[in-house]
Amino acid sequence: MLSIRGVATGYGKVQILRGIDMSVSEGQIVALLGGNGTGKSTLLKAISGLLPVWDGTIEFEGEPIQNRQPNEIVKRGLTQVTQGKDMYPAMTVEENLKIGAYTRSDRAGVAADMDKVFDYFPVLGERRRQLAATLSGGEVQMLVIGRGLMARPKLIMLDEPSSALAPRIVLDIFSIVNRISRNEGITILLVEQNVRMALLLAEYGYVIRDGVVHIEGESNDLITDDNVRLAYLGGTVTDAGAELAH
Amino acid sequence: MDLLLDFVIVGVSIGIVYGLVALGISLIFSGLDIVHFAHGELYMIGAFLGISVIAFTGVPYFWALIGAMILTGVLGVVVERVFYRRLTRGGGGYTVAGMGMIICGFGMSVALQNVAYLLWGAAPHPYPVSFGMPIFLGNIALPKNYFYILICALILMTVLHTFLTRTKLGLAVRAVAYNKDTSYLMGVNVPVMISLIFGVACAMAAAAGVLIGPINYVQIEMGYLMLLKAFAAAVVGGFGSLPGALLGGIVVGLFETLCAGYLIASYKDIYAFLLLIVVLMVRPTGLFGILVKVKA
Repeated sequence: MLSIRGVATGYGKVQILRGIDMSVSEGQIVALLGGNGTGKSTLLKAISGLLPVWDGTIEFEGEPIQNRQPNEIVKRGLTQVTQGKDMYPAMTVEENLKIGAYTRSDRAGVAADMDKVFDYFPVLGERRRQLAATLSGGEVQMLVIGRGLMARPKLIMLDEPSSALAPRIVLDIFSIVNRISRNEGITILLVEQNVRMALLLAEYGYVIRDGVVHIEGESNDLITDDNVRLAYLGGTVTDAGAELAH
Repeated sequence: MDLLLDFVIVGVSIGIVYGLVALGISLIFSGLDIVHFAHGELYMIGAFLGISVIAFTGVPYFWALIGAMILTGVLGVVVERVFYRRLTRGGGGYTVAGMGMIICGFGMSVALQNVAYLLWGAAPHPYPVSFGMPIFLGNIALPKNYFYILICALILMTVLHTFLTRTKLGLAVRAVAYNKDTSYLMGVNVPVMISLIFGVACAMAAAAGVLIGPINYVQIEMGYLMLLKAFAAAVVGGFGSLPGALLGGIVVGLFETLCAGYLIASYKDIYAFLLLIVVLMVRPTGLFGILVKVKA
């Protein structure tokens, strides 16, 4: 569905990505992992068109989308959900969701999807007329995920949904993301620093480092991979699994 | 008592005109992240275009107002696309582009003034419109212009407010004003929205020009003082806030008119800036404490 070949880009003259290869198939949840400043968010920006791609190709459903305007890419069904702080604080929850459906013109469908978002995140329904500035961190994260769903995307890219949230809330959000992916048939590219959680949710994972894909593989293999474990997990996965089941 | 009522009506209507220009400055500040120093010239050109529309087509005053707004809006879009876009882009997207943009604004102001000089000449133009007999309030005769300003400005504000809060396009304008990258990811065509914001801001300035035209003569240097007054209005109301710009305009207009009326009339222009200085000293964020995003 999404295939990235040899993508290189950066900011100004500073190169960040040095030839990234990865692919996401339809219906999958794929995790993109790596520490701070390894280029995860840069890759997402390049995919959504916010950053020019210097070299390489990005194909979505078989068509090249590199260096297109971001709004065109959204129209094709590829939506990026940025980190929670990027909501519109001076707009109500409802308006935030409406702007998420900006590319659509089917009013009935938009209204139905808004109800669906309120089903997944009931707390947003309770606060639909409140300003987004009054929401808590977890609620804001739910709002931006809901806003992403409003575009009725085929593929959604989640940028660190767990950042700066309490573990309990992270768990809630991840299980809802899992449900959304199953119920709506949306493919998900999950960017995370919380490697353990991401690998429990995803089927396949890529670890990037210094601007290239360092390790890739099935989640189960990655979890047991000594390199990944040493570099990013710093412990065993079994207790995290128990936590999720709980 | 009659005199006070007269001052209040005059002050509020002049203030609303300041507010209209300040509204444009605030709209551009939040939408494009620049302070637009040539906005006074667009107000002046808008007033002249209103005269030209009447001269060429003979339409009534109200349609001249609409015509001048449309023409100035288009002119604004051209100015933004051709000249400002390169600079705002060069500043790393639409971040504060720094000195370049400020100097370009001043340059544009001189250029537009000279274009107006070539087209309409240096002589002051009276507005080719008559409102008939003044209205009598007790012992005071008040020209109808002031009521016309109040009504037209009220209609414009309502239309703008409805546009921003009730329509999808207005929602997108507010989104772009807050954060461009995020709005891009919502599927909003950001460059087009920025042109739209600039065009609307210039149309508002033109409306102010046409509305104030029948009170003062229209001449090519009128933009400069209006720009300063509008800045005062925007700062008093809280820079970047749209309701603040309007309220700030009314406060400045009222203060100025009352002071000129009861104190020394020839110092009229000083009072607005006196208020500006006091507000900056006491409440730099504006009188009304409206929360506005902080620019880098």
